[in-house]
Amino acid sequence: MITKAKLLVLISIITFSLASWSCSNISVFSPEAYKKAVDLKVESLELMSFATSPYAESEENVTYLKTELRKAYEFALGRPNNEISAEQWEVLINEEGNLLGGFLKRWEEEDTLSEMFVTEMQMLVSDAFDTIIGLESGKIDPSELK
Amino acid sequence: MPTFNDFVSTLKNDLLDFTKENLEEYKDEIFKDGNAFVEKTKEDLQRWTEGLASGALSQADFEFLLKGKKDLAKMEALKHLGLSKIRITKITNGIIDVVVGSAVKTFL
Repeated sequence: MITKAKLLVLISIITFSLASWSCSNISVFSPEAYKKAVDLKVESLELMSFATSPYAESEENVTYLKTELRKAYEFALGRPNNEISAEQWEVLINEEGNLLGGFLKRWEEEDTLSEMFVTEMQMLVSDAFDTIIGLESGKIDPSELK
Repeated sequence: MPTFNDFVSTLKNDLLDFTKENLEEYKDEIFKDGNAFVEKTKEDLQRWTEGLASGALSQADFEFLLKGKKDLAKMEALKHLGLSKIRITKITNGIIDVVVGSAVKTFL
């Protein structure tokens, strides 16, 4: 026969186990990470629009943007239980890939890029940033955790 | 006096209601998002093919865009993986509420 006290202990154990497991599953919402992603989206799309002109004219800005993107990636990588967001940043900025990192590399190699290509890449990069922003904004606010 | 069996029975019913409600909503969200991605990909491909035919895009541009779409699909999949984990966390928190609620309903 299970007594009321034993039952309460059992319920507490179940509740505690579930709570511990759920808290360690994925990082919570970070306003700083969200802001970084939104700011970098705007800055990246703006700089991309200059890719129809010679690379040398924007080289300094590209170098600055690359540093900021790297910082955002390292910030994501350093947050606990944040592997998925960090992997998103990695895909976005990878120079061997075909999103923002690959675009900037191609611009440097080819000096100028065609107008339609730039416009289409801006749409892809915009959507790519939205996946990062969408995941971050979907995360649970720390105040909601029990 | 309520027994442990009463508690288990209440808990089972409460969990069933809770799970049904949450999973249905999630299934609809994924389906809607997946469809939107496929539709957008179709429109992109059509524009890019036209661009290639008119000379506005080179063969290299076209290939780069296609590969870019593949990278974007990966990022989209990662977003859904993350959102699924968040959903599981929320459901787990909900289950905690259900367990406690069922215990209160049964014994208090």
